[in-house]
Amino acid sequence: MAKKPSIGRQKIKIAKIEIKNHLQVTFSKRRSGLFKKASELCTLCGVEISIIVFSPAGKVFSFGHPNVDSIVDQFLGRNPPPNSTTHHLIDAHRKASVQDLNSQLTQVLNELEAGRKRGETLDHMRKLASQRKYWWEKPIDELGLNELEQLRDSIEVLKKNVTNQTDKLSVEGNVNLSPFFSVSEWLIRLRSNPIR
Amino acid sequence: MTRKKVKLAFIANDSARKATFKKRKKGLMKKVSELSTLCGIDACAIIYSPYESQPEVWPNTAGAQRVLTQFKRMPEMEQSKKMVNQEGFIRQRIAKAAEQLKKQCKDNREKEMTEVMYQCLTGRGLQNLAMADLHDLGWLVDQNLKEIHKRIDSLKKSASSQVVAPGGSSKSATSEMARNGGGQGPGAGQQEQKPVVDLGADAMQSRPQWFTDWVNNPNENMGFGGDDQMMLPFGDGHGAMWSSAFFP
Repeated sequence: MAKKPSIGRQKIKIAKIEIKNHLQVTFSKRRSGLFKKASELCTLCGVEISIIVFSPAGKVFSFGHPNVDSIVDQFLGRNPPPNSTTHHLIDAHRKASVQDLNSQLTQVLNELEAGRKRGETLDHMRKLASQRKYWWEKPIDELGLNELEQLRDSIEVLKKNVTNQTDKLSVEGNVNLSPFFSVSEWLIRLRSNPIR
Repeated sequence: MTRKKVKLAFIANDSARKATFKKRKKGLMKKVSELSTLCGIDACAIIYSPYESQPEVWPNTAGAQRVLTQFKRMPEMEQSKKMVNQEGFIRQRIAKAAEQLKKQCKDNREKEMTEVMYQCLTGRGLQNLAMADLHDLGWLVDQNLKEIHKRIDSLKKSASSQVVAPGGSSKSATSEMARNGGGQGPGAGQQEQKPVVDLGADAMQSRPQWFTDWVNNPNENMGFGGDDQMMLPFGDGHGAMWSSAFFP
């Protein structure tokens, strides 16, 4: 089930994109990336930014920190930046809130990265195993009819065993039948003590 | 391109912050410009910073004013529909990342269970698995069976000459396996099911280290469930439990 890697980053000419579909996809992605960069700049450097973008379809997307309207008004000279205590309080509250959200985001992104690595490790394990001598571990497309039938029979036996075991556990009411170790622990051991 | 991953927090160091601001501001403006050109759309960017009294503007003051007029002319609802501030934007990013994480965990779980499945095919017992694991294993087993059936059907249909199973192993391999399994079960390991296939010579030769350990410690509890059918076709005739190498 390996995903085919994408074509990767390509250098493109900075001129209006001819193909409408590409244009729309590009707009969507780049707009998103632009807002992300703006958001990061605000966080990292504590500056105030507003970006307004019209889509090819005529819709308008805007990003603003602290918010679009205050920046726009300030720029257009409509209202001078307020300096009251209330404003400072609101500011401080917003800053804390953003800080908190950024921590959350960082955490999720880290977990995502960890998960990605784990996935790669597992892929690697499977790749190694499928190249080994055990023919039944080869990808299914590489097996011949005879092998497939044997494999099928064995897996069907396994299926029965799983059903039996499941029934057995249900009957016993899951009374502290704690496994010796969880699947992940087992896999960790497997990695550090490769059995093959 | 930076080599280090930057922490998503306010940069405390003044000079570092200023340097970062300069670079990123330049980059941001470049990105706005590219977006505008590539997609043929109008845009503007305004940046207020403590480093300059006047805001930095793209494309320029007049251009920005034009875009803003256009913006302000739109109905309030249209303006707000796709409007977002820092908090909202970060929340969106969190939601998206969480979604990706969920999918990733599911994929990883499937990969893990695939490993477990192959282990079970070589005789690892199911005793160590919790209900949830069994459940997922059962699902995976079904998925694989589906795929195999499909493949078998398609191969039969194409009716080309088939590749014969490898390992012209003799009957002796099979009976040795049967004997091993029978002799070392806790209660006379009854074999409900005779091995269906001839064991490839390869499998007999490449005994893993832990198997050797196990053979040298015949007192290890085999842990065969009495009702388990022996799906030993791929096994080395060994038992279900890991050798002591795996126990703390």
